[in-house]
Amino acid sequence: MEITLTDWQLLLVKLAVILAVVPALTLVAGYAEHKVMAHLQHRLGPMYPGGFHGWAILLADGLKFIYKEDIIPAAADKRVFKLAPIAIFIPAVMVYLVIPLDRTLIVEDLDVGVFYLLAISSVSTIGVLMAGWSSANKYALIGALRAGAQLIAYELPIVLSAAVIVMLAGTMSLVGIVEAQPWPFILWPPGIGLVAFLVFMGSGIAELTRPPFDMPVAESEIITGAFTEYSGMRFIFGFFFAEVANMVAFAAIGATLFLGGFNPIVPWSPLDAIPGFVWFVLKASFLLFLFLWVRPTFPRLREDQLQKFAWKVLIPVSLFLVLAAGAWVLYAPEALQP
Amino acid sequence: MTVDSRDELKNPQEVIDELARGSLQTEQMLLNVGPQHPATHGVFRLLATIDGEVLVDAEPVIGYMHRGYEKLVEARDYRQITNLVSRMDWLSNIQNELPMWMAVEALMELEVPPRAQYMRVVMVEANRILNHLMFFASFGAELGAITPTFYAFREREDIQAAMETATGGRMHFGYMRAGGLKEDVPRGFLQAMLAAVRQVIDRMDQYYNLLVGNEIFKARTIGVGVLEPEVAYNYGVSGPIARGSNINFDVRKDEPYLVYDQFDFDVPMGTSGDCFDRFWVLLHEVYESARIIEQAIEGMPSGPILGKVPRVIQPPEGEVYIRTENSLGELGYYLISDGDKRPYRMKIRTPSYSNVSALPYVLKGTFVSDMIAILGSFFFVLGDIDR
Amino acid sequence: MPVLEKLSHDDALSRVQGLLDGLLADAHLNYGHVDITCVPENLVEVTRRLRDGDGVRCRFFTFMSAVDWTTFGEGEGGTDEETKRPPLEVLLHLYSPEYVIHVTVHVPLTAEPFICPSIAGVFLGALWAERETHEMFGIEFEGHPALVNLYLPEDFEGNPLRKSFKLATRVVKSWPGAKDPEEAAGGGR
Repeated sequence: MEITLTDWQLLLVKLAVILAVVPALTLVAGYAEHKVMAHLQHRLGPMYPGGFHGWAILLADGLKFIYKEDIIPAAADKRVFKLAPIAIFIPAVMVYLVIPLDRTLIVEDLDVGVFYLLAISSVSTIGVLMAGWSSANKYALIGALRAGAQLIAYELPIVLSAAVIVMLAGTMSLVGIVEAQPWPFILWPPGIGLVAFLVFMGSGIAELTRPPFDMPVAESEIITGAFTEYSGMRFIFGFFFAEVANMVAFAAIGATLFLGGFNPIVPWSPLDAIPGFVWFVLKASFLLFLFLWVRPTFPRLREDQLQKFAWKVLIPVSLFLVLAAGAWVLYAPEALQP
Repeated sequence: MTVDSRDELKNPQEVIDELARGSLQTEQMLLNVGPQHPATHGVFRLLATIDGEVLVDAEPVIGYMHRGYEKLVEARDYRQITNLVSRMDWLSNIQNELPMWMAVEALMELEVPPRAQYMRVVMVEANRILNHLMFFASFGAELGAITPTFYAFREREDIQAAMETATGGRMHFGYMRAGGLKEDVPRGFLQAMLAAVRQVIDRMDQYYNLLVGNEIFKARTIGVGVLEPEVAYNYGVSGPIARGSNINFDVRKDEPYLVYDQFDFDVPMGTSGDCFDRFWVLLHEVYESARIIEQAIEGMPSGPILGKVPRVIQPPEGEVYIRTENSLGELGYYLISDGDKRPYRMKIRTPSYSNVSALPYVLKGTFVSDMIAILGSFFFVLGDIDR
Repeated sequence: MPVLEKLSHDDALSRVQGLLDGLLADAHLNYGHVDITCVPENLVEVTRRLRDGDGVRCRFFTFMSAVDWTTFGEGEGGTDEETKRPPLEVLLHLYSPEYVIHVTVHVPLTAEPFICPSIAGVFLGALWAERETHEMFGIEFEGHPALVNLYLPEDFEGNPLRKSFKLATRVVKSWPGAKDPEEAAGGGR
């Protein structure tokens, strides 16, 4: 049965898909974080909400937060205070527009997919600064400034390592990048793909302000940093929800750019029977697990060590990678064909 | 350059002149760390003057938990005081009771039977392990490593369960008496304690690698918060914190009490006095305590657990200072008795009090994040500081 | 530094006496520790010599506090002897890690106002100890950079550790359990 929709109806369907999928992914990823961290720490994690191994823990948390009192500090700048979580949350959702689950399972295959991704995700930096400044709290201020410095510093390695892939693939569209990747995905071209992947993942953890790069939200020092004064739904949307959604998005983008997206793991014909989005989900889940694994394992880096790492290690490495990728594209373009 | 909304906007020419002169005038901020703060163990307040991320000055403000021990003990007799002082350093509970009873025994010239001596050693060293595991957990947690907490507390459970079979308490024991212990331990206590301690040692290698072998941990703690030996002496810093500064300073070796001179154990020492060395000393003390416990349990004599003690504990007139090696340093009781059932004056010299008084010196010029690492590495307990 | 030389108690006493010749009112051994008494005016010099003196080197600041002797001997079991004790006495304990010498310094303060020179210039640990002794006993330490309350709030009135300060809420309660082992329910202790 042919369904033809007008442009506006198609737009509404796509919006509905995103608004349905993103919270669902967040809940799954959040639950995975609880359980993975728990088992790494020799404990069980949530067991009661929902009955079976506490699957409904985040739903219960969400309900609880809805009931909480909305406290705004008296000295806070009210308009900015209320706007900040929105400024953090909306970019996190908009990133999902271009993530390809399969060749055609994508909300909108923009020609400038990668560019759009990187641009949108960097808008949340302003939200963090807004949150910290408007809270009228010294700890929040310290956290916001740390976050601002960190996020800006780690934008560069992400952009550069993504640029490497764009150069090698010749297109910024995410579907196009997946289809242009030869096998084995990150190991080709030798040396560049793997290093770019590591740089991307490392800066991704820093962009997400997740441990070991979670200085801005260092709980034992400045008690959630920029978001100290937030409570209730503002806190959930601005801090928790956005972070987890961003984390899933980063895992998905990493899988798309470096691990071959919806292509099977090995180009063995029987594996083609398994639909592409299964491969995509597997790869993204693996990267998500890496993010979750790193959190309980390492202590956190100090802010100046963090900055040193970005400016003195990651950026020179990624600049060199861009050079190397350019050389490949110029002198051996045939080797880059899938 | 800061523009404070309360002040007028500076003349742009002045701004440029100032920048040209090279004096970047930054504003100092007074940050109140505590009294409610996750990183300070308890209600401890640090008035920090910070300039950006650098600590210009740090002044500890204590006394939020002052319970007036030295006045309270003047109204209680010695058995009542036992439970009271157990709550000073609440992580090394039975170690607080020990020097007080040793002081009473010194004044009354009571003899403690050998079995009681050995059993006291076992309990005191077990408590040292409990204390050090707790600080292992909290130091990691302050630096962001949240996992060691769970592992350390799992190990503490076994030792606490063994102590509970003997004393009835998991934290505050109240088990020491003049001339020995309250009563003999139940059957199976020694085996349970030995098994628990051996398990701790088995697993310590994993924990060691988890934190000490970690690059990030080393980057956070090496070279941070150096305490020079002379300064340590001058402030009265003792315990693992002093030994991290390469000071061979252990009451158990210098002036052996109980039966410590019969055991073979080393005193771990650091080399440079930074956070890493203090933590390293802490971990290695767990190994040494385990050695002592094993030797004590193997050589445990039989016999009475309480010596010949008069019915009423009434030390004659006199003054004496007895000190022991508490988990956190030198714990001493200066007991002045006038022949009464209650002490006339009992000055309690607690280790954390002297250790924390050295904080302003160590904290000058460090980063805010280093402040957290240094506070964590100074291993203090609020009850010890505030008494 | 590790222990260089473990002195016998008499050796320790004679070394300290030799070092502080003329500055002490009394020096004797008390349970193996050297117990000395000096007047407040000599305190700074005494501590400085103890800290730096060769063969003594009491560099470790153990504690500093005070004793209120005014009701000494009034409890049961007190002696009938009339020993002249000062109303307040500053108590200082130093230790030598190299020679294992313990020195207890008694500084009698005879009358109001109770003033004692500060040894914060000799031992940094005295910075806090003198603040605490000041608020607990009401002793003024001359030369201390910032003699403010350490434990107690700024507006606290009185000096808690003096015997004249009665804790109103504290009634002296005797041991509520059995006084004799035989009286105890289980016959135990």
